[in-house]
Amino acid sequence: MSDASISALAGSPTSGAPNTPWLTVHLEHRFHHNGAGFHLHLAFSAHAQRTVVFGPSGSGKSSLLRAIAGLLKPDVATIEFHGTTVCNTRTIGSRPRIYIPAEKRRVGLVMQNPAVFPHLTASGNVAFALRGKDRSAQKEKIARLLEIVEAESLAARWPRELSGGQLQRIAIARTLAAEPTILLLDEPFAALDAPSRQQISQNLHQWARERGIPVLTVTHNLEEAFTAGDEVLTMEDGRVMAQGTPEKVLVMQRERLLQMLHAVPAPVPEETSLSPENDRAV
Amino acid sequence: MDTVALLLTLRLALVTTVILLLLAVPLAYWLAFTGSRAKVFVQAVCALPIVLPPTVLGFYLLVALGPRTAFGRALTHLLGHPLAFSFAGLVVGSVIYSLPFAVQPLAAGFAAVDRSMLDAATTLGSGRWDRMRRVVLPLSRGSLLTASVLSFAHTVGEFGVVLMIGGNLPGATRTLSIALYDQVQDFQYAQANRTALFLLAICLVALMLLYSLRPESRPRSGDLV
Repeated sequence: MSDASISALAGSPTSGAPNTPWLTVHLEHRFHHNGAGFHLHLAFSAHAQRTVVFGPSGSGKSSLLRAIAGLLKPDVATIEFHGTTVCNTRTIGSRPRIYIPAEKRRVGLVMQNPAVFPHLTASGNVAFALRGKDRSAQKEKIARLLEIVEAESLAARWPRELSGGQLQRIAIARTLAAEPTILLLDEPFAALDAPSRQQISQNLHQWARERGIPVLTVTHNLEEAFTAGDEVLTMEDGRVMAQGTPEKVLVMQRERLLQMLHAVPAPVPEETSLSPENDRAV
Repeated sequence: MDTVALLLTLRLALVTTVILLLLAVPLAYWLAFTGSRAKVFVQAVCALPIVLPPTVLGFYLLVALGPRTAFGRALTHLLGHPLAFSFAGLVVGSVIYSLPFAVQPLAAGFAAVDRSMLDAATTLGSGRWDRMRRVVLPLSRGSLLTASVLSFAHTVGEFGVVLMIGGNLPGATRTLSIALYDQVQDFQYAQANRTALFLLAICLVALMLLYSLRPESRPRSGDLV
């Protein structure tokens, strides 16, 4: 697929045939680490604009997002965005092998680790992804994005002066600046205090909804899983266990979810933002 | 003090350092991030000048650049003069001889950059060279400084390669270390002492500059003595 066709997705997030899922994944990948193996083996399609992947730590959620974003090259996979193939490792009939590199997929990924560039200020980080815009347009856009994550006052700060929660806000604003066609969120609000989490999540989803950008959120927080999505997938040991509306999955997986709820430790915020005060500090 | 030799030495060190950085940055970047099987071979070749006697390197360069090889003849035809026993020949020898002193700190610095920073830059649309320019190089300033200072100081102090490739032509290939050798051979110990002290001072100042500019080397107020 050409850069132009990837770019075209930006303007028409629901391009493709009616009812075409915005994301289709067939994925198989083996990890080998210190003699132990982990097998990621799953297939699903996502239709809802807000889709959530729920599963315990180590179930392969983050690896799934990395494969979708192009940061992990799977052993065997077919990945489609809005019906357009971005990764196809197998030649079946006349279908050629395709691998669109991560930098050309226009996938926004907010990771657990905010990875804010330490050599740039907060606004410099947000400006990183802004290209071809004049300075005044850039300034205006940076201000608007920082407003979405409630970090207007942090624009001139250096990352070393920010708490974990504040860094996460900058990482979110920076991701939106790249104008992604798909948004992947990997526990993006774990470092934020509860009121900020709710407000920023709301702003972020509104921003995505207004632009028709689908959002795939990964979480191991049961409450977040069944409130932040219109479609829920549960994952365990590298496999999809159930998929459907939150209500349907709750009914289907009730017993298993209760077991997981007791087994999953509470999300641990970043060291620098253990308390709500810390998030607002500095 | 042989000022002609001094100026020639400084010019050689400066030109070598600039060329080395231009070559070593992409090479070190490749070494830091490649998954290629050729990496071990390239690493070993880059490190060879550390363990190889300078005379061995100088001998092969002299042969390669001389009229005995097609490469040497082509170079002579292209430049109008042989590369051996010229300043340009000295630069070629110095670049090869000091290569590990530029490549190794740079490769270590690049490899130490947090991978999550590179992942973030990639998903923001940065390609390989854009990541190098906007993320890896700014986060490896300490390694760039180390590579520059070590390359400069190492070139100032080189002897064997210079003597083999350049000989001892005043004004063209006679560097300070060669001048020092001549002075000792002529029993001019007072002059030799001044030259040796000057070489020692250049290297000491270069290393002090390196350590003073690297933040991790500065004493912290809370440090125990």
